Amino acid sequence: MKKTLKRIFYLFLILCIPAGFLIEHEHAVFFWHKIPSIDVVFGFLGAMLLIGGARLLAHLVHKEEDFYD
Amino acid sequence: MLFILGAVLIPLLKGRTKQIYLLVIPVLAFLDILQLEAGTSWVYHFLGYELIFCQVDRLSLVVGYIFVIIGFLALLYSLHIEEDGQHVAAFLYVGSSLGVVFAGDYFSLFAFWEVMAVSSVFLVWYQKEKRSLDAGFRYLIMHIIGGCSLLAGIIIYVVNTGSIAVTHLGTSPADIFILIGFGLNTAFIPIHTWLPDAYPEGTVTGSVFMSVYTTKTGVYVLARCFAGMPLVAYMGGIMTVYGVLFALLQNDARRLLSYHIVSQVGYMVAGVGVGTELGVNGGIAHVFNHILYKALLFMCMGSVLYMTGKRKLTDMGGLAKYMPVTAAACVVASLSIAGAPGFNGYVSKGMVIASAAQQHMPILELMMVLAAVGTFLSFVKLSYFAFFAPNEEIRAKESPLNMQLAMLMTAFLCVLIGVYPEVLFRVLPFQPIHYHPYTPGHVLGTVQLFLLAGLAFMVAKDMLAPHRGTVLDFDYFYRMGGRGIVWVCVVPLSNMRFRLQTSSSRTIDVITRIAKNPIMLLEIPIAYAYFRITQGLRYIGGYSSSEMYNENLYRRPIGVGVLVAIIILFALALIYFIL
Repeated sequence: MKKTLKRIFYLFLILCIPAGFLIEHEHAVFFWHKIPSIDVVFGFLGAMLLIGGARLLAHLVHKEEDFYD
Repeated sequence: MLFILGAVLIPLLKGRTKQIYLLVIPVLAFLDILQLEAGTSWVYHFLGYELIFCQVDRLSLVVGYIFVIIGFLALLYSLHIEEDGQHVAAFLYVGSSLGVVFAGDYFSLFAFWEVMAVSSVFLVWYQKEKRSLDAGFRYLIMHIIGGCSLLAGIIIYVVNTGSIAVTHLGTSPADIFILIGFGLNTAFIPIHTWLPDAYPEGTVTGSVFMSVYTTKTGVYVLARCFAGMPLVAYMGGIMTVYGVLFALLQNDARRLLSYHIVSQVGYMVAGVGVGTELGVNGGIAHVFNHILYKALLFMCMGSVLYMTGKRKLTDMGGLAKYMPVTAAACVVASLSIAGAPGFNGYVSKGMVIASAAQQHMPILELMMVLAAVGTFLSFVKLSYFAFFAPNEEIRAKESPLNMQLAMLMTAFLCVLIGVYPEVLFRVLPFQPIHYHPYTPGHVLGTVQLFLLAGLAFMVAKDMLAPHRGTVLDFDYFYRMGGRGIVWVCVVPLSNMRFRLQTSSSRTIDVITRIAKNPIMLLEIPIAYAYFRITQGLRYIGGYSSSEMYNENLYRRPIGVGVLVAIIILFALALIYFIL
C-alpha cells in the first residue's frame, strides 16, 4: 500500500513538470509567470528555504521545556 | 443580542432541554440575519451621539453568516460540556463578536470589543490549570493594552471630527492608535504573542470558539476602516511567512495551529491591504473559509486531547487506526488550509495571491507563495506525526458522537465550497466576481508546488520531526520586561516606600509631641537634654531607667495658653485693620 502510494506520487511528480510546458499562465504579470513549470522551482526551493530557516531559527529560539518556570 | 441575552437562561436549564436550547439560539440568530436588509436600525441617542447597533451591508452580512454557522457547529461540538460557565462565556463571546460586526459607530464597537476580550478569557481559564490561568492573564493584559489604544484613538478621532460613525480611516495619529488596537486583535507582528500563548491553553471546546472570532473581527474592522493601505498589505505578507516559520518549530499541536492562524490571518490582512475589489473579496472569502477549516483543525486536535490527554506531537502517532473520523476530518482540514484544489482554502487563497499580482506587488505575492509551501509542509507534518507515524504504545477511542458530527459537518462545508465556490461568491461584498479558481494553469501550478514541497518533506522529514522544548517568540521581551517591572516594584520601589514610611512616621511623631505642648517648643531641647542627663545620672546612681519623658511635668498653666491665643488674635486683627 505504502509502496503503491509512493509510486503514484513519483509518477505525478515526473508528469507534472512537462505538463507545465503545455499550459500557459492565464494572467501573467511578472516575468516568472511566463516561465513554464516555475512552481516546481518555487515548491522545492521554498520548502528547502523554510526548512533551513526553521533549523536556523531553532538554534536561536529553541529552549528547554521549563524555560519560563 | 440573541446570544448575549440568551446566555442568561443557560444556567436555568438542564439536560436535554439545555442542549436543544444551545442549538436553537444560533439557528434563530441565522434566521434573523437572513431577514436583515441593508441599512441602519437600532439607533439610540446617547450624550448627543447616535449609537448604531445594527448597520447592515454585504460586508457585515457575509461575516455575520459565517459567525453564526460556526457558532452552531462549535456549540454542537461542545454539547457534552456540563459547565454552564463555559457555555455562558461562549454565548457572550459569539454575541459580542456579532455586535462588533454590526456596530455602526465606534462607541458601541468598542463596548462589544471589550466584552469579547473579557468573555473569551474565561474559555482559557476554564481549563483550570496553572498555565491556563497564567496564559489567560497575559491574554487579558495584552487585550487591555490594545483596548486602551483603540479607546485613545477613538477619543482623539471623535474630538477631531465630531463623528463616531465607523468609516474608512487614514494615517492621522488617531487612526494609527485605532490601527494598533485593531492590529493587536488581528495578531500583527510583533503584537501577536497573546495568540499562540493563550489558544493552546484553552479548554478543548473553548479553543474552537477562540480560533474563530477574535482575529476575524479584527480582519473585518480592517476591511471596513483600513482597506487599501500598503502598510497593512505588507504586514499581512510578513504574518504569512512568520507564522509558518514558527509553526514548523512547534511540538504542541494546538500551538502549531495557533501559529497557522497568524499565517492565515496574514493572507486576509494582505487581501484587505491590497484593497481592490478582488483583494477585499479574497480577504473576506478567506475569513469565511479559514473559520471553517481552522475550527475543524481545533476540533480534531481538541478531540485527540479529549480522548487521549496528549497535546504534543512527540506523544502522538498512529491515531488514525483508533480515531478514523477525526483523522479523516483532519486530512480534509489540512488540505483545505494548505489550499489544495477541491478544498475551500484553494479558492480564497488564490484570490488574495492574484490580487497582489494584479496590483503589481511582487514581494507580497512571493511571500504568500512561500507561506503556501510552508503551510503544506506544516500540515503534512501535523497529519503524519499525529495520525500516521508509527506508535505502538498509544490506545484511544473515537470522540463522542456530537464531536464527530460537528467535525463531519464542518468538513463537508470545506469540501462544498471547494468544489462549488459559487455558493461563497454569491455572498461576497463586491459583485460581480471575475475570478475563476479552476483554470488549468492555476490548478497545475498548485499541484506542482505541493508535489515538490512533498518531495522536500520526504527528503528532510527528520529535520522537521517535532522536539520537546519551548520556542521563544517576541513574548520573551514582554515577559522579561514584565519581570523587570515586578523587580523594580519589589526591590527599589519597595525599599524607597519603607524609608519614606519610616521617616514620615518619625516626623509625625515629632509634630505630635510639639502639638501637645507648643509653648514648650523652645524649651523642649533643653528639657530633653535635662531629661537625658538626669536619666543618665539615675542610671549611674542605680535608679531605674524605665521612667520616660512625661510632658505633664513640664506643662505650663492654662492661662499662658489663653494669653498666647489672645496675642495671636490681636496680631491678626491688627494685620486685618492695617491692610
